[in-house]
Amino acid sequence: MTSPAIQVRGLRRSYGSGATAYEAVRGVDLDVPAGTLTALLGTNGAGKTSTMEVVEGLCSPSAGEVRVLGLDPVAARDQVRRRTGTLLQTSGFSGDLTVDETLRMWAGTLTAPRPLAEVVDLLRLGHRADVAVRALSGGERRRLDLACALMGRPEVLLLDEPTTGLDPESRRDVWALVRSLRDAGTTVLLTTHYLEEAEALADRLEIMHAGRIVRSGTAAEVVAGHPSHIRLRTTSAPAWLDELPAGRGVITDGGRTTVETDALQETLTALLVRAGAEGLRLDDLEARHASLESVFLAIADGTHPATTTTTTPEPEAALR
Amino acid sequence: MSTLPVVPRISVPRTLRLARWNAVLLTRNRLALTYAAALPLLPLALLLGGDRGDEALGAATIATTLTMALVFPVFYNVLSQFVTRRDELVLKRLRTGEARDAELLTALVLPGAVIAVVVALAAIPVAAAFGQDLPRNPLLYVVGVLACIALYAAFAFWTAAWTRNAEAAQLTSLPVILLAVGGQLSLALPEAAQRWAELTPGAALTGLVRVTWFGLDDGRTTSSLDLAATWGAAAPHLAVLVAWTVAAFALAARSLHWEPRV
Repeated sequence: MTSPAIQVRGLRRSYGSGATAYEAVRGVDLDVPAGTLTALLGTNGAGKTSTMEVVEGLCSPSAGEVRVLGLDPVAARDQVRRRTGTLLQTSGFSGDLTVDETLRMWAGTLTAPRPLAEVVDLLRLGHRADVAVRALSGGERRRLDLACALMGRPEVLLLDEPTTGLDPESRRDVWALVRSLRDAGTTVLLTTHYLEEAEALADRLEIMHAGRIVRSGTAAEVVAGHPSHIRLRTTSAPAWLDELPAGRGVITDGGRTTVETDALQETLTALLVRAGAEGLRLDDLEARHASLESVFLAIADGTHPATTTTTTPEPEAALR
Repeated sequence: MSTLPVVPRISVPRTLRLARWNAVLLTRNRLALTYAAALPLLPLALLLGGDRGDEALGAATIATTLTMALVFPVFYNVLSQFVTRRDELVLKRLRTGEARDAELLTALVLPGAVIAVVVALAAIPVAAAFGQDLPRNPLLYVVGVLACIALYAAFAFWTAAWTRNAEAAQLTSLPVILLAVGGQLSLALPEAAQRWAELTPGAALTGLVRVTWFGLDDGRTTSSLDLAATWGAAAPHLAVLVAWTVAAFALAARSLHWEPRV
């Protein structure tokens, strides 16, 4: 194993000082192995962008350490920038320049830029070359931004919400492009709040909440250990729901009952057999495996066990 | 918050390429271009009205011309370009790339600096055409202009730090503009205030023009200094400019902000 392309240890980042101080990142550890794609997931305000900005070398951490390709992105800025490509959460271009001019300007800042035609083809910007940036659609502007990020043939790509504001088709295009770059050996760290995007692209997920990474691993690992759910509606929930095999608990909310289980098929079979025998009518019956979405929502609600602790949560440690 | 490195390393080709695009952007903004390129040339017309060879008038006109060339193409232009690019996140985007901070800043200054230098040099033949002498100490004259460019560029970055957006620059630019024109206004001030007004960069520039171009000693209206005497007579004015430049760089380095103010 070579050392990871991106390594973050004990990262903290605070804004302001004194009584108004706010700690956006509260001790993040993160490894992105070379040639893999990691998605940093989280709700708005989870600390994704604050983490990314330190990895991008735009600012120093309040505490902790970041290494990109083994180098400190602030102290060794020149060396790191030559080998990384960054896409910020919000694009930053002068509206008065055309697409072609913007690309030429960006190329002019690089030591070894790709040929312009190649980048233009890659991002399908050819037909818009002479259009002023201010007249571009949000999706086109994002593609232009991505073109700049890729222009230096980066070994490490840092993408902060690359597909936000894109239509579904453009989003798929960006996914295909990012996947092909990863397959060609590029290391990618991207943030997103689209679970679908993370599942489609990432070798590894890191889920952030309130400044910490609360779950990490492959999509399967993140979901593992989370209960499946059986939802139903009955006039009165029978007591035996609690005693179903592999059941983990019953939650009643109004007329709606949710049974949590570690073995969906087993619990569901037992439930249906018993209900059939007793002639119990089950309305709106719904059985669902734990999904990334259910885990993510549990984290966002603060009901996930890892979100309620203040120390490094156990499940996370177990997955590492 | 960022600080300027003490001795910034700069790639000259990259800085020039960036500066070229800043110049292109300047030409795409009619109003900014008028302010930056046309306005500084207007004061030269004052030479039309006076007697040919009137040295006091010549000195006042050249000083006004240079002040305009420093206030608009350098100070105000750099201020508004920096604030606009900052607010458009263009600077933040560029900082994720290979361009270094000092290169980005220098490239923002260069188009206006070139205009200021061109105006300063164009003033020589224009003044000669109106019967004025050629600069007595051209070297010191140019050094003074360059020092002022550095000074007003640094002031622009400092002012940008507390300028909320490009429109607000119309107001936030006033303190520095007052410092720049203070020298010319000093005669209108009460005597006690005049002594202080002479310590403004504007007054230092006026003094420098009088000495290095026209050989006018303090308070004189006719030329009395030869080339050798200009060095010593210019020294206090240069010292004032250098002190302001050092202070402006320190302020700018401490307050430089790359992200929009919230």
